[in-house]
Amino acid sequence: MRPPLMSLIAALAAKDWRLFWADRRAALLTFAVPIVLASSFGLIFSRHTEARSATRLPIAIVVEDDGPFTQEVAVELLTSPRFEAVAMTREQAEGAIAERRPSVAIVLPRGFEKVKEWRPGSPGERPPVEIRHHPLASAERQWAEGALTEIVMRRLARDKLGDKADLAPPFHIEAAAATGANHAAFNAYTHSFSGMTLQYLLFWGMESGLLFLRERQRGAWTRLQAAPVPLAAILLGKALATAAIALLVVLATFGFGYLAFGVRIHGSHLGFALLALAASGLAAATGLLVAALGDTEARARAVSILVILGVSMLGGLWLPAFLLPGWLRDLALSLPTTWAMRGLDAATWQGRSLLGVLGNAAVVAAFAAVFLALAAARIKAVETRRRKGWV
Amino acid sequence: MSAVLTFHDVRMRFGDRCAVDGVSFEVNRGEVVGLLGPNGSGKSTTIAAAAGVLEPCSGSVRIAGRSRRDDPAAYALCVGLLPQECALYDELTAAENLMFFGKLYGLSGKELRRRTVRALARFGLGDRAGHRVGTLSCGLKQRVNLAVALLHDPPLLLLDEPTAALDAASRDRLFIDLGRLRDDGHAILLSTHHWDEAELGCDRVAILERGKLAAIGEPRQLRRRPSDRAILYGHLRARPPRFQVQSLRDRLGSSAEMEVTGRRLRLAATSSEALGRALAQVLSEGFALESYHTPPAAIERALDRAAHPSTAEAA
Repeated sequence: MRPPLMSLIAALAAKDWRLFWADRRAALLTFAVPIVLASSFGLIFSRHTEARSATRLPIAIVVEDDGPFTQEVAVELLTSPRFEAVAMTREQAEGAIAERRPSVAIVLPRGFEKVKEWRPGSPGERPPVEIRHHPLASAERQWAEGALTEIVMRRLARDKLGDKADLAPPFHIEAAAATGANHAAFNAYTHSFSGMTLQYLLFWGMESGLLFLRERQRGAWTRLQAAPVPLAAILLGKALATAAIALLVVLATFGFGYLAFGVRIHGSHLGFALLALAASGLAAATGLLVAALGDTEARARAVSILVILGVSMLGGLWLPAFLLPGWLRDLALSLPTTWAMRGLDAATWQGRSLLGVLGNAAVVAAFAAVFLALAAARIKAVETRRRKGWV
Repeated sequence: MSAVLTFHDVRMRFGDRCAVDGVSFEVNRGEVVGLLGPNGSGKSTTIAAAAGVLEPCSGSVRIAGRSRRDDPAAYALCVGLLPQECALYDELTAAENLMFFGKLYGLSGKELRRRTVRALARFGLGDRAGHRVGTLSCGLKQRVNLAVALLHDPPLLLLDEPTAALDAASRDRLFIDLGRLRDDGHAILLSTHHWDEAELGCDRVAILERGKLAAIGEPRQLRRRPSDRAILYGHLRARPPRFQVQSLRDRLGSSAEMEVTGRRLRLAATSSEALGRALAQVLSEGFALESYHTPPAAIERALDRAAHPSTAEAA
């Protein structure tokens, strides 16, 4: 009896599903590894984020002028709640900055005392203030510059207007994290779980591709070739099993994130589900592409790891993409990981609606379809050549 | 007799090398045909072409008058293939392997379960159904392999060196099974490079020599031809490591020719004396023989021509 195509695909997928679970420990590791990775990244960055709210800038204060105004400014700098300030000599500060301990120093040089003679609109030479900083600490330099300006201007105003003058700014600042939606739901674990899950899906796809590469060297492949099974059914069966396991990885990882770290889907649940499906499809298509392009298992593994790490980093799976230079961010738009990550961010902490996620899911699905088509064309060409004895 | 498999002027090339060159023969219903020849003579390529795994560059391969190109699925349903390597998933149980491959041949539900149970019982594997194939011995694996090939009851069975990994008892059992299958009406094409196997289980033998069909006929007709070389077939107690075989082959040099396939040994020399000396050397190297025999004036002339073309031409 001629077997229907769908039942062939189902049988092939079921076989791969069984092969996956045949090694229970390896199967459990497939779920445990992304959870461990995401938890570790989340832990590192959530601590970093919490600490940032109360962070004081480590800074060295070098005072080279003995004037009373200078001394008062120096005391204010040393006791400012914005700084973790230490008094140093110029030499000590230079050495410390080279080691980024701290990264920046404010030097009040000889002649700084003349600042107190300043009047609004008064002409004449203005005394210098030196800010010494590590080459990689330009943000800290700006932070120090702003705080110094505020402290000196307050001190001058107090001198001119008296101690009782109200020197508070004529406004108050309301700061809030902007998530692009109604929720202020950012949780460092959310980004880590999204990024690490996506990265691991690609690794799972690679692993599945390498298994397929190995399977094609085994006797069972000869039997499959002799069976009444079109190549398309074999590839779709393989893709279906890989995608199903990938989807299970997404569910397990986000389920753990929800229970342990409060990772929530604040946006469209349907959008998240579609994106998870698209990302699982992408993992399966990536796997087939690895099997199609890899000559040997060792070579395919080495190249795949390099590519996956590269697209993970550029796609913002490790750290937010805004840390990358602009041209690289533009370049990253050509990667499926960028769109998948944007989609997950939108569905989770940004709290976007289905429409806000759908575009990203569609782009990821399109990438998966293109990869699948490329892999199928390449494997078909290789198998045809093999059948005809050209290789 | 009706031909199940027909090879007509089949040519198969791998790059510049011609692996099968103008081969024509038939395998009829209820007949076992053995493809005999030394390594590299084109036996496995012929089996692969018959299975549709390889496509000939010219000529035609037909099963019941139909080529694979006409209807790939219908063609494949007529073939039960036993490849040279173990064509099973080690991680799955014997029953799971049978069920999986059965589904690929359109079997399902009760019918699939019934055939699986029957196939396992037929090959004495009833108590191993739930065992993972990776944990089975070579002999048992080969029986599962054969059970898979027969599950969909194909009219044509293709066996590529089915005895390579078997001990003597398993080999004899396999040939008993093949005899039963032939009596059931299956057409069987098997490859071997051991004359005794061809003689033991085949109705006709096709001798391949560097891709060409050198002779085809009943074993008793072919064995009447005089042989100018002394041959010994043996069964080793254990499968020797490859380096040991290579080292012994180097030591034998041109005085004798040795082939080892799994636990099967073939030793050939220009005279009985030379064969005796070679056998003594083999035994002194620690190769323990379970059994051996020297065939009478046999088919080996054609085989030797393939292995020693210059000698044959000079003769």
